Amino acid sequence: MAALKSQNTQALEYLYDHYSAALYGAISRIVQTEEMASEVLQDVFLKIWERIGSYDPAKGRLFTWMLNVARHQAIDKTRSKESRKGKKTDDIDLLVHKIDKSDFTEVSTDAIGLTEVLNKLNDDQRLVVDYLYLKGYTQSELAAEFGIPLGTVKTRLRAAMSQLRLLLDVK
Amino acid sequence: MNIREYISSGVLEAYVLGELSPAEREAVEKNLREHPELRQELAAIEQTQEKIFFQTAITPPPALREKILAQVQPASTANVVEGKFNYWPWAFAASVVFALVASYLAFYYRGQWIESQVALNEYIAQNQQIAENYNTVNQRLDKLQSDLSIMENTQFVKVVMTGTENAPQAQASVYWNQSSEEVFVSIQSLKQISQENQYQLWALVDGKPVDAGVFDGQFEGLLKMKNVKGAQAFAVTIEPRGGLPAPTLSTMQVIGTLPKG
Repeated sequence: MAALKSQNTQALEYLYDHYSAALYGAISRIVQTEEMASEVLQDVFLKIWERIGSYDPAKGRLFTWMLNVARHQAIDKTRSKESRKGKKTDDIDLLVHKIDKSDFTEVSTDAIGLTEVLNKLNDDQRLVVDYLYLKGYTQSELAAEFGIPLGTVKTRLRAAMSQLRLLLDVK
Repeated sequence: MNIREYISSGVLEAYVLGELSPAEREAVEKNLREHPELRQELAAIEQTQEKIFFQTAITPPPALREKILAQVQPASTANVVEGKFNYWPWAFAASVVFALVASYLAFYYRGQWIESQVALNEYIAQNQQIAENYNTVNQRLDKLQSDLSIMENTQFVKVVMTGTENAPQAQASVYWNQSSEEVFVSIQSLKQISQENQYQLWALVDGKPVDAGVFDGQFEGLLKMKNVKGAQAFAVTIEPRGGLPAPTLSTMQVIGTLPKG
């Protein structure tokens, strides 16, 4: 962590090698094209590099921090392109489509396992996880889109995460 | 605060997603600091989230890795690059400029040096010429001074020899010191003669001609001749080069006797 904060380039390579795929997956499901995803990933690593000094380990895990940088960057990108509206009309089990989408070169084999895991959630829970985690919606966007009160969105996510914690075997 | 209710509200998930306002976020962070259970719960949420994203990870195009690392690294190593490695191009450029300037100056000054050498050689030659001229003039001056001292010396008798019938315009003089017997001749006007012939000076001693030496027609000032004793008159004839023991009277040019007294 100290190496990262002092902007050691080996540390950056470590970050890239460990986190780029997870971040790229998150970005790819928010933006439309592989080209956009590549641009966003590039911007994300620049930002991570620039802002690494402001990351406080006491407030959360490094990946959480990086993921939020990536999500914001991806959402900004789609908003700047005025292209998110079309996406919102997509079908509910878009996650599966997205994961299988052929214009993204490589798909983690774990994704199949996750799809099975998500299928064990009830429909309400699966929807919030899908939209909030995998499509990059904000909670208020989801609430507005589906006409659900914001508090309900939060408690549903809470319930879903509790389920997933057991399913994914998090101690 | 009821921890269970707080957790059930889903506020920690919203916090992890970065969806809270700054005020809400600060409140959550404060609670996290105060309640270890909340920190434990937060960690579990984060790990769950992390698992979801690692299981849905997509490897970026391989080319992107180098591109991103190359793009990010310059910013972090910029100081080093500027401080250390950029020194060399500048040093190289400076040395090239220095070499060019030095070459130009060497060429320029070589030209200047050659010009100076040429000029210096000219001056040396001129100086030699001037020195030679000076010596010539000096020798001539010395000669004229010694001639003049002879002419002014009262020990010397001047015998003016005037033209004979052979050469009415001719004139020459003899300076003769009767005690030291030295004889000098000077020409005022004698005609040119051929290379085979020379003028010969004769002294008339008791009516007999005595050889006093030969001379060429062209010289300046006085010319020293053979010593003569007891002469009453002097004469000049034209004889074959080297002279003869007895004068050829038919070629006599000038003649003069000692002044009376």
